[in-house]
Amino acid sequence: MSTFIPIHRLVSWSAAAALLLCMICGRAAAAPIAIEIIGGGANQIPITVVPFANEDRFAQRMAQIISADLQRSGLFKLGSIGSARPLPAEPSEINYRYWKGEGAETMVIGSVSEKTDGHAEVRFRLMDVAKQSQVLGFSYTVSVPQLRMTAHKIADMIYEKLTGDAGVFATKICYVTKNENRFELQVADADGFNSDFILAHREPIISPQWSPDGTRIAYVSFERRKPIVFVHNLLDGTRTVLANFEGSNSAPSWSPDGKKLAIVLTKDGTSNLYLIGADGTGLSRLTSNQAIDTEPSFSPDGKFILFTSDRAGSPQIYRMRADGQGEAERLTFEGSYNVTPRYSPDGKSFIFIHREEGHFNVAVQDIATRQMQILTAGSLDQSPTFAPNGKMILYASETKGRGILAAVSSDGRIKQKITAQSGDIREPAWGPLPNNRRKE
Amino acid sequence: MKNNLYALSLTLLLAACASQGQKSADIEQRDLFDQQQAQRQQAAKTQDADRQAKIAKEQEELKRQLDEQQRRQQAQNDQAIVKPLPGTGVGGSQLKGDAWAQLKEPGSALAKRSVYYEYNRYEIKEEYVPVIEAHGKFLMDHNDLKIAVQGNCDDRGSREYNLALGQRRADSVKRAMVLLGVGEKQIETVSFGAEKPVAFGQDEESWAKNRRADIVYPNEPQ
Repeated sequence: MSTFIPIHRLVSWSAAAALLLCMICGRAAAAPIAIEIIGGGANQIPITVVPFANEDRFAQRMAQIISADLQRSGLFKLGSIGSARPLPAEPSEINYRYWKGEGAETMVIGSVSEKTDGHAEVRFRLMDVAKQSQVLGFSYTVSVPQLRMTAHKIADMIYEKLTGDAGVFATKICYVTKNENRFELQVADADGFNSDFILAHREPIISPQWSPDGTRIAYVSFERRKPIVFVHNLLDGTRTVLANFEGSNSAPSWSPDGKKLAIVLTKDGTSNLYLIGADGTGLSRLTSNQAIDTEPSFSPDGKFILFTSDRAGSPQIYRMRADGQGEAERLTFEGSYNVTPRYSPDGKSFIFIHREEGHFNVAVQDIATRQMQILTAGSLDQSPTFAPNGKMILYASETKGRGILAAVSSDGRIKQKITAQSGDIREPAWGPLPNNRRKE
Repeated sequence: MKNNLYALSLTLLLAACASQGQKSADIEQRDLFDQQQAQRQQAAKTQDADRQAKIAKEQEELKRQLDEQQRRQQAQNDQAIVKPLPGTGVGGSQLKGDAWAQLKEPGSALAKRSVYYEYNRYEIKEEYVPVIEAHGKFLMDHNDLKIAVQGNCDDRGSREYNLALGQRRADSVKRAMVLLGVGEKQIETVSFGAEKPVAFGQDEESWAKNRRADIVYPNEPQ
């Protein structure tokens, strides 16, 4: 089991048949999700996104996608595009006095033109209206279906230029949907578009986690009537069993180099933490005690692991060295239920689920100062996951008995609600930045 | 019964898959047929009898493959009707009909199969001790009989922590039975965490029903 074996060779005949069948009927029913924004940043950056010249000749409208991305972040205030026509597509066409009158401070202009072989050229510029100068300008030649992702990349560049943080519009998310008795592990763009499932089954799927390079997802499936950890390769659609030991196998967390995973096994008694190679070889034990140890989360530098343990009587969050040496240090002391720790991308804080007066909410804690802040106000929040720039947190919540996803900015000001067209949506995991692929 | 259903649904899936295979064979056949027509014209022109014979052979082979596939599908369908006979044995043990009846005796501790827990706890409450003792004794009386204990939780908080908690609940039942003298190998534990609720409300009544360990006798007649 050391390489990625095509699925039909790995799993039993019947399971493979069931899975194949699920995959065959996969494409059709990709239920889109709707995102609703609640609240906004304290100081929103004004920006005017002018429709790109000729963009209406394509199904994917550049300016619309860029505007929606920026608006969803809660950090931007979109300006009016006025009434003067034609709209500018190049710097020489901008009447700066007019746009100043419209209240524009920064402007996005551009054009889309058709090339041969189903390709299109996208030109875009970010302009400073007061200085009458260009801040950014790029041209992309892409295949027409790539226009949407190109718009996200442009939105990322604008976001990074104006806020100083990496944009996450061109990233992917995954989550689990439940409709009747059908569970699907779905992968979608960060704005919920282009969703498609990579696995569907009658048995539950939980705890999906992206590999640091974004090419694989580890998850726990109950398809063999007990929890087993799988690693799914998104590039070729194959998957392997990562851990199928006696008892329960769960809670995968990738090391930052993508070579190992921390997992939880019960093969030697109670739930304890183990390390295993991403190819399923080289199992070693990290914790051994009679209490529950679960939900490992690697620090971004790979040196530490956060985890949940009830060794002191109630579930609390601890930190240990990733080599298993030394004593684990308890980090949470407020309340009797603190679970699901996840390191922030900068490693300075962590998010987790904190229970207070019967409410389960997402909280953030600074590792150095131990200062804790509750970020959400739902009653049954679960499974928080950081955006790879550390600015937003996606989590599972519930409204009127239905599972939904919600997002909150790491300062708690901006909130989004994400609902599936039908059924429950849960277990979100935010994928890495696209350029993380180069690191491995 | 559960196993039975599982086998049945798998068989149905297999049958469905087989018919998928059949469909693609149909398409293949059509393609070949078009080819065949073109080839026949060619053959008429060139009087190439060899080629025609080859085509006939190909067609024959295709028909044989289709027949084979149909036979295989028929076999699958036949398999779907086969049912394991209940009550003939569990985990190798030859349980007699009256032993199964004993398990179902109305009002008896043996008829109770669930142990319920307090929120976030896995200690067995006093009131469930008689249930565990009754099943423990039954397992000692039939010491080649095997059971499964399935741990469950309400769905609040962490799914992974609940999975671990469900495992502890199942293990608590196993440990209590082993202390009574039941063989370790007679009991297999599994946790479903919060993933298999039996009650779906967001209230204490539903949550309480989901915080439990189930004692399951595989192949027990319904």
